[in-house]
Amino acid sequence: MAETSIRSRKGPVTYLLRIFVITYLAVLVIWPLWEVGQQTFFPPDRGAGGGFGAFVERLSDPSVSYAFNLTATVAFWSVVINTVFGVGISLLIVRYRFPGRRILSVLVDLPMSVSPVVVGLALVLAYSTGQGWFGSALASVGFYIIGTTPGLIMATAFVSLPLVIREVVPVLEEIGTDAELAASSLGATGWQTFRRITLPSIKWAVVYGVVLSMARSLGEFGAVKIVSPGAEFRGETATLLIQNRYTNYQEPTAYAAAFVLVLASVLALVVVSLIRKEDHV
Amino acid sequence: MNILIAGVNKSYGDFVALDNINVSLPTGQLTALLGPSGGGKSTLLRIIAGLESADSGSVEIEGIDATKLPPQKRNVGFVFQHYAVFKHMTVAKNVAFGLEIRKRPKAEVKTKVAELLELVHLSQFAHRLPSQLSGGQRQRLALARALAVEPNVLLLDEPFGALDAKVRKELRDWLRRLHDEVHVTTVFVTHDQEEALEVADEIVVINEGRIEQVGTPDQLYDEPANDFVMGFLGEVTRLGPFRLRPHDIELSTTPGAPGVLSGVIERSLRVGFEVRLAVDVEGQGEPALVVLSRTHARALDLEVGTRVWLRPTAGATSVPVLEVASA
Ligand SMILES: Nc1ncnc2c1ncn2[C@@H]1O[C@H](COP(=O)(O)OP(=O)(O)OP(=O)(O)O)[C@@H](O)[C@H]1O
Ligand SMILES: [Mg+2]
Repeated sequence: MAETSIRSRKGPVTYLLRIFVITYLAVLVIWPLWEVGQQTFFPPDRGAGGGFGAFVERLSDPSVSYAFNLTATVAFWSVVINTVFGVGISLLIVRYRFPGRRILSVLVDLPMSVSPVVVGLALVLAYSTGQGWFGSALASVGFYIIGTTPGLIMATAFVSLPLVIREVVPVLEEIGTDAELAASSLGATGWQTFRRITLPSIKWAVVYGVVLSMARSLGEFGAVKIVSPGAEFRGETATLLIQNRYTNYQEPTAYAAAFVLVLASVLALVVVSLIRKEDHV
Repeated sequence: MNILIAGVNKSYGDFVALDNINVSLPTGQLTALLGPSGGGKSTLLRIIAGLESADSGSVEIEGIDATKLPPQKRNVGFVFQHYAVFKHMTVAKNVAFGLEIRKRPKAEVKTKVAELLELVHLSQFAHRLPSQLSGGQRQRLALARALAVEPNVLLLDEPFGALDAKVRKELRDWLRRLHDEVHVTTVFVTHDQEEALEVADEIVVINEGRIEQVGTPDQLYDEPANDFVMGFLGEVTRLGPFRLRPHDIELSTTPGAPGVLSGVIERSLRVGFEVRLAVDVEGQGEPALVVLSRTHARALDLEVGTRVWLRPTAGATSVPVLEVASA
């Protein structure tokens, strides 16, 4: 029986499948990304400098630095918010029984299925000072959401909310409540049980979720596009910058910024695969 | 000074898991909660521990009303059927957990942990992770962890249920010796009557959410309160108007004594040193089961088809047959 393992079956079908998959990935992912790299370091345009020096130079433009700073800030805060709420909501869904629990567990997946543009629109509707439902109230105490960094954070957090929850919920379900109950019968309070028993057991799931939502937050475009003024030095995140420059005939800068985002994603993937390995040892 | 359970009810939806339970479990003793699967043993134990709340009724532990206390305030040690050890902590850390929660000084924790690991014979595994232990070792670890906080009461839910027969028997003897050493009030759940009879000072028989009988192993075995208890504690058979144990039937090959019932041997099976006979007794639907020693059976020259006469041995435990069919 053991001889019929998957690896040992090497017929022509296997090779065909491999070629098919590799071609597919190449056409869809590898080649376009390769082009981004090409454009970044060896732009074909006359007048545009090539090589690493030019790349760094383009990135050190103040408006580009501003954009990356903003993206980093937004991503950081939305990841922090999503980690806290994500773990909290996961605990609520898995460990407690209350009316509306099923609805909640469906709702947290909503940001995955709704287009980010719609999310942005909804936030504008709810929070803009002109017609927003809460916007005017918040504005009267001097707090503006739409068009400011908090608005960008909100939009990004909304979009990447499910990522942490989707990682944590299955692990919570799998570890069960026995160890937690044992801890409480040994005298641990709810918080102590969470800190010392639950958290260490879901640690890797949380880290994995954080890395995923970090990657997602860095690349968020649609929702941010709607809630941000999107001008240089005014709410222009890295993704918005790429689009603006691209449409403004400053393609080299767009490519350089794009390359940085690709690099960040690759880094996230590497981290994730390292975690996966750790997880299975 | 004991565990006093008064008028406890518990339902899941419209399913009644516990129905008006009243029982007092004596201090310093080893009590078994015995009953068939789904009878409500775990539910009762979890209510004592505070891991589940009763719909009504009260639980008093060592004179303190614990009905509304959360588990961490009851000072009970709970050992789960599936160990529930903390997988990410070493054996020593597991045992230290309750003490660290109580903020005991480091040195004290260390000596206490060493002492307990000695007690459960796990000293050489102190720095291992639970995943590197066998089932029986994990179970002992769970026991040591529960004992570390010096609980007033130790509650064990089928502590040896997941282990193989041999390890199970070893741990059972070990638990009895441990109890004689430590003397903490202990309640353990089991559905194995042999385990209960062998280890417990007192047995509470629970069936379908109700207590059938409370008593010492001898009382339960010799004076079962009803058909169910009798049937659950050992094999029973029917002879005329009585239910009794198969080895309490006297068999002879000649009629004589008054009150004997005559029948014909229907089947005969040898199991080790004993012979089990199914006797088709006249005027009785089901055959009576009789157990004899092999030598005795050979001396009487018994074969399938032999006519025999049966009666209860003098002083045999028996209960009248009830109309309701029993388990
Ligand atoms: N959380 C629950 N929800 C619904 N029903 C439950 C729940 N817990 C227990 N029950 C029911 O209550 C009854 C008693 O359960 P309990 O776990 O106390 O049985 P038990 O005597 O320990 O059985 P076993 O020997 O199989 O462990 C069972 O019929 C079970 O289906
Ligand atoms: Mg049970």
